[in-house]
Amino acid sequence: MNWRQIFLVLKREYITRVRSKGFIWATILVPLGFVAFIGVMVFIQIWESDVTFEIGVKDETGQISQSLIEINPNRYLDYSDLSTDSLRVLVQTNEITGYIIFSEDIISEQRNPELIYSGSGGMEFLMSVESDFRQIIREEKLRRADVSDDIKQIFDERVSLDTRRLTRDGLEEDDDTIFLSFVGFLLGIIIFISIFSYGGYVTRGVIEEKTNRIIEVIASSVKPIELLTGKMAGVGALAMTQLGIWIIAFMGLSALAGPIALSLMESSSDMSGNMAAAEAELPAFLDLPSLPPSLIVYFVIFFILGYLLYSSLFAAIGSAADSETDTQQLMMPVALPIFLAYFIMFHTWRSPDSVLSVVSSMIPFFSPILMVTRIAITEVPFWQISIALILMMITFAGTMWISSKIYKVGILSYGSTASYKDLLKWIKQS
Amino acid sequence: MYTIQVENLSKSFGNTLAVNNVSFNVERGKIFGLLGPNGAGKTTTIRMINYIMPQDSGEIIINGISVSPKTQKMIGYMPEERGLYKKMKVGEQLVYLAQLKGLTAAEARTKIKYWLKRFNAEDWHGKVVGELSKGMSQKIQFISTIVHDPDIYIFDEPFSGLDPINSELLKEIIIELRKDGKTILFSTHRMEQVEQMCDDICLFNNGKVVLTGNLRAVKKDFGKNTVLLEFQGDDSFLNSLENVRINNRSTNFAEIRILGDLNHQQILETAMKHAEVHKFQLVEPSLNEIFISTVGADNIKNQEALLS
Repeated sequence: MNWRQIFLVLKREYITRVRSKGFIWATILVPLGFVAFIGVMVFIQIWESDVTFEIGVKDETGQISQSLIEINPNRYLDYSDLSTDSLRVLVQTNEITGYIIFSEDIISEQRNPELIYSGSGGMEFLMSVESDFRQIIREEKLRRADVSDDIKQIFDERVSLDTRRLTRDGLEEDDDTIFLSFVGFLLGIIIFISIFSYGGYVTRGVIEEKTNRIIEVIASSVKPIELLTGKMAGVGALAMTQLGIWIIAFMGLSALAGPIALSLMESSSDMSGNMAAAEAELPAFLDLPSLPPSLIVYFVIFFILGYLLYSSLFAAIGSAADSETDTQQLMMPVALPIFLAYFIMFHTWRSPDSVLSVVSSMIPFFSPILMVTRIAITEVPFWQISIALILMMITFAGTMWISSKIYKVGILSYGSTASYKDLLKWIKQS
Repeated sequence: MYTIQVENLSKSFGNTLAVNNVSFNVERGKIFGLLGPNGAGKTTTIRMINYIMPQDSGEIIINGISVSPKTQKMIGYMPEERGLYKKMKVGEQLVYLAQLKGLTAAEARTKIKYWLKRFNAEDWHGKVVGELSKGMSQKIQFISTIVHDPDIYIFDEPFSGLDPINSELLKEIIIELRKDGKTILFSTHRMEQVEQMCDDICLFNNGKVVLTGNLRAVKKDFGKNTVLLEFQGDDSFLNSLENVRINNRSTNFAEIRILGDLNHQQILETAMKHAEVHKFQLVEPSLNEIFISTVGADNIKNQEALLS
């Protein structure tokens, strides 16, 4: 191995790619997409509170309309004086969205209230109307049953679970499990996509040298193993550049996004009386708890090892294929473990400590995705992380050994795509 | 001292023995031709000399040392399958390839400037290779082969796919390099190119060397036993000749190799009886003929390619 040659290859791979239009656009557009996404989320929150659907209530019991209006004064209007026909006309002329005739038998005979409406509003609207009526009817029934205030109180209770994490050092911390579960899920997907896309760069790079027929010129100056190493390192450096830019951009944008969005919301809060709810929901996706630095470090380590593991195989595929379209059949056995890991992740992010999650996160071909997801969500014992790392390194040594053998022969064989049998022969012969 | 020494070189792929116990020597300052039909093992041998492929057995010595990354830098190699990075600029690409051969970036730039100027291509420096015409990129390919000023030049089927202008240019380069005392080895399956340029030859067939030595000496050994005949009229008399092999036959021309002790004057008599003879010449056999008579017509690996 001659490091000068490897470095020259690395430099070329890196510079030609980093200057390409595709790379520059992707690097810029992803953070912009992130901004657009946040923007859309904010506007959804604002617009949602602006739109109101009015429901006329013809209260034949004379007891519930007042409480309904208390629940949501913008939605419920007391139209007890109007006839049913006039209510129908109001709906037909779009004055109100719908009406409900609240008759006595709804309470006494358990009949469901019936909403007659124009059809607009959607599921969320219907569900909130439903829950409003459920509450009103329950309250009215409790009132008629003449139960004590204590019991009414019991019915009003909404129990939820508060959680705090007790660390090994004996400190109690705010528990961000819900948030971190999403982070773990997201990181798993990022690694999944990155391995495929940067691995794809490697495959295409190898095929390009073959189809351009420059490979033999290069091979007369550089050892195949040096070329392979330089290529993988070059694309790896490219990946780190892009991910680095994105991570910094995301951190910067998230830091800015919270305050900007808040000020936007405040300025629009005058327009809607329903702002209290919106403000309470805002922090859920903008005012994020900060990520533990150790998670970022592990993410980088597992990404690098996963990239190396898979890109060495992707390079072998490229060298064995005669054109880009021919890579598909060879791609299967390499793509399979990534997809498996991806599917297992849907289980892992919900129960990160199950036997399936623990065992598969230590299988080298799954670790890059699953271990990162687990580290984000749960307290992974250090021995499990160490085993995953050691196994990945050993496996990488193995894949690199196999790949360099396939690569050495593959880059010089033109004309047809190799079969698995050929590959086995190549591995044995060199 | 020999520049390239090949001793008992063998290489097999699976069950096929591509190169079978091959030995030959290339002298300093000579043009050496590696000849033989397609699939005879020339490219495999060249790849092993370039240290692109390891040999199964045998020895390759370049300037006194075994093939290694070090000997790679002594060689400028233009493979049969040639190409360049399409998306890279001409200048950057040449610097990269020269650096891989051990030059510093600054050295490479000076030399590239010289060669681009020499080929009237100074303003191509910033062009992307994909934008160049085929002829233009062939010139860039030449430059990439010779820019690091190596001692030895190896061209695998150099004239295949070249346009006539670049063919001439390459011939000029090869002859100029020889004048500078460089060693040139090239392979071809087209014998007539060798006759014009080579000092020494090595004939390959089925992975084996069938004949090697100085071109003039080889030809002399075969003696003046070939008749070049140009005529006008019915050519069916050619079929009645016995103990001869007719190469290069067309309606009014034939190259006739005398195999037995037939007197060439008899051929002339027969020809004059049946047609109007324009030219009758006794010459040394062509390389093609030498090749055929050495290996036997039936043993030639790829007859069509050779005889076409």
